[in-house]
Parts: sequence; structure tokens; C-alpha cells
Amino acid sequence: MAEEKKKVRIDVGDGAAIPSKSDKGLFSAWLLSFFLAVGALLLLLFYPDPEVSDKYQEILVFLADGIVITFQVTLSSIAIAIVIGFFTGLGRLSKIWIINLIASTYVEVVRGIPLLVQLFYLYYAIGEFIKMPDMVAAIMAMSICYGAYMGEVFRAGIDSIDQGQTEAARSLGFNGAQTMMYVILPQAWRTILPPVGNEFIALLKDTSLVSILGVADLLRRGREYASTSFDYFQTYTLVAIIYLIITLILSKLVSKMEERLGQHDQR
Amino acid sequence: MINDNPIIKITNASKSFGELKALDNVSLEIAQGEKVVIIGPSGSGKSTLLRAINQLETIDSGQLIVDGHNVCDLDEDINAIRMELGMVFQSFNLFPHKSVLDNLTLAPRKLRKIPREEAESYAMELLAKVDIQEKAHQYPAQLSGGQKQRVAIARALAMNPKIMLFDEPTSALDPEMIGEVLDVMVKLAKEGMTMVVVTHEMGFAKEVADRVVFMDHGQILEVGTPIHFFENPEHPRLQKFMDQIL
Repeated sequence: MAEEKKKVRIDVGDGAAIPSKSDKGLFSAWLLSFFLAVGALLLLLFYPDPEVSDKYQEILVFLADGIVITFQVTLSSIAIAIVIGFFTGLGRLSKIWIINLIASTYVEVVRGIPLLVQLFYLYYAIGEFIKMPDMVAAIMAMSICYGAYMGEVFRAGIDSIDQGQTEAARSLGFNGAQTMMYVILPQAWRTILPPVGNEFIALLKDTSLVSILGVADLLRRGREYASTSFDYFQTYTLVAIIYLIITLILSKLVSKMEERLGQHDQR
Repeated sequence: MINDNPIIKITNASKSFGELKALDNVSLEIAQGEKVVIIGPSGSGKSTLLRAINQLETIDSGQLIVDGHNVCDLDEDINAIRMELGMVFQSFNLFPHKSVLDNLTLAPRKLRKIPREEAESYAMELLAKVDIQEKAHQYPAQLSGGQKQRVAIARALAMNPKIMLFDEPTSALDPEMIGEVLDVMVKLAKEGMTMVVVTHEMGFAKEVADRVVFMDHGQILEVGTPIHFFENPEHPRLQKFMDQIL
């Protein structure tokens, strides 16, 4: 029955590795990275020599806007990507061949084109006909790209739920949408969440690509600062540390959520 | 036992899975309050027939009237019809992410819009009826097979259905748990519920069935009282089948 299937763990995996308590090696690697990153950040910002610490503090203040933009792009994109992914996943499971074909083709096409090329295509190529703000183009490209990956996550997650669950819900009188909402998704979510978390982290890192379109994200702000001050080492060191701290915190949050969702299995 | 106004009326129903004829021109009428047990070898079409009644399987041709509604008519609201048809599965199919109590109250609350308190107090009554009220706040994974099936029966009853359909309810159970589930079903039968039961439990059939239906190769070969089935089965395939299962 469903018991065995439920342990499926989808690892699409180009996000940061998500630590779990059962994996001691990774757990301590997480701790070590986190303390190194935070330690390095604090050391640079409060370095005994004020000339050094002032410099880093100045860079950090300059980068702050970029961090906000990076989060804006990430959160907007992931929200849209989850919606696209949900419908793509349903489409991939659909018995209606035309819907299935459209969803599958979308996934194939998007997965076959590098994200950077998609960004260029949407902003510059499509931009010849429909001019859109760089921020909009960036979020659209990221959502369309990650929507396809997310579609596979949703497909696998929904597919992992035993057919008997759908039959039980339908025979009680639930329609298809209610069955999905009350019975399938609450169960599929536990399979879906870890890879979605992974995708979220991967997406956050990939938002650094949008800096090329001129979106003033974290990396773009770093480039702006470095190109005027020529402090390449200091700037990019700080940029790297900030990305690392953010992704480490996020991966921890995802693993916490995963633990909580997994709880009623063990009871 | 057949009256003029059957609650289930199946007329010339046929269904094929590729080459296989799962249902071959099947007709059957079931009266309000009647208990019908369907027996037959595996692959005989008995589960398909049962699942056609609530449209978990569609039929290719023929007619199926349930409680005055033509369930094959796409204009009919199949979800509304299903609310009147309780279904119990071989593999229980409880919702593992919900407590026993929530398994019972989910459909009444969402579909019948019954307030939580009312739904829960009725659910507790039903759990008492299937003798498992002490497990109300546990999760399905913590229950034995027999307990799961009793909860599944209570879940179906929570919608106050007019008809209960049982699809081999004891086939997935360890032998020592079959009795507790059959006891609940007998109790339900004695209360006057209309029941259609696919099972091999002839003891149950003998105790509660008004009629037994024997199916093979998608056809109904013989219909009769349990006594008739035990004492003088007519069709040679039924005689052979009875020899095998008794």
C-alpha cells in the first residue's frame, strides 16, 4: 500500500544540501559552515583596525538594497513557479492527451534551455516586441524556468499518493478539486516540500544571474560598488559570505519544516 | 423481495477492459433495505459491478439507476449521488494524515456543512457503534487492520448514506480480525441498511443476505437465497465455486 511509497524523497538537488538530524556528517558540516561564515562576517565588520572595518561596513550598507531586491525576485519567482509547477504537475498526470502534451512539452523545452539564455531571450529578444521592465522580465524568466522543474516535483509528489486515497475521497462525494485540496495535497506536501525547499535555495542563488539584465540585486550592487571603488576583493568576499549565510539559514529552515511534517509518520 | 421501486436498478450493463469483458449484459435490481451479497471467482466482474454503482468505474453501455438518479447521465451531479452511497474498500483507504475522528468528520463538515461540534459528536457515536471510540484521537497508522476497517465503515456511515457498498471488506485482514469487522456489518444489516457486499464470507451471507448473486466472466449466473446456494446450487460453475470456498 501507500506506506512504502511515502518514503520517496525527490532530490532534484542543485540547491544547498538540506541538513537532517539523521545525517550527522552533513549536520556538522552545516554548523561548521554557518559558524565560519558568521564568524568571518563579524570579524570583517568589527575588525580591530577601523580602516578595515569601516570599509566593510560601508560595503554592507551599500549592498543592503541588493539583498532586499534579491529576496523580492526570489519570493515573487518562487510563488509564481509553485503555481505554474502545480498546474504543470497536474497536466503531466492528466489523462487528457492534449493537456498532457502541452505540459510535457513545456517542461522539455524549458529544461533544455539554459536559464541565462532564457533571461536574455525574454528581456532582449521578446523585448523587441514587448518592452518590459528588467525586474518583470527577470521574475517572469525565473518563474517560467523554475515552474518546469517544480512541475516535476509536483508530478512525483502527487503521483506518490495511493490511488485508493482518491477513490475513498471521491466515493464520499468530494469532487476532483476538493479531493486534491483536502486529501491528496496535504499528503503529497511532505514529499513535495523538501525538493521545493531545494528549488527555493537554488533559485535564490540563480537570481544572481538577473544582475546581467541590470536588476539591482545583491551581485549587481556588489559590481557597482567594486567598479567605482576597485575594492574587488573586499566587495566580492562580502557578497559571497552574504549569499552563503542566507542559503545556510534557508536550508536549516527547510529541514526544520521537513521534520515537523514528517512527525505523524512516526507516531 | 423485489418490489416495484428498487433503490438500485442495473439494466444490461456492459463494460470491457480491452479484450476482457468485465461486465457482460448484467441486470440486477436491489430493493430498499435489501442485503445482497455478490460472490464469484476473482476476475468475475463482481468488484467492477459494485464500483459501477458509485461510478468509480463507468459502464460502456446499459443503464444504472441509483435512488432515482441515472448515474451514467453526465447532467446528474455524481458527487451528490455519491454522498448517499457509502463505500468500504478492501484496503481501507483511511486518510493517513488525519486522526480517526477527522477521518469521520472531514466529509460531513466540508460537504454537508455540518458544524464541527455536531459532526464530532455524531462521529463519536459512530465510533462507539463500531466499538473503537477510544482510538478517536489516534492516527490510522496506529491501528490494526480490523480497527482500520471498522473506522472505514464508520467514516462511510458519517455521511448518513442510504446504501452501503462493501468491496471485499475482509480480504486484506488477518483471520483473527475478520470477525470483528463482520460483527459490525451484521449489526448494520440488522438496523435495516441497504447493503451490497462483495465477499467470500459465506457465513456472513448466510446470516444476513436476502439474496446471493453469483458472477463469473462478467455475467450473473445465479441469484438466490443463501439457503438455495448452500443446498442446491444449480449452475455447474457455482457448484464448483461453492466446493472451493467452503
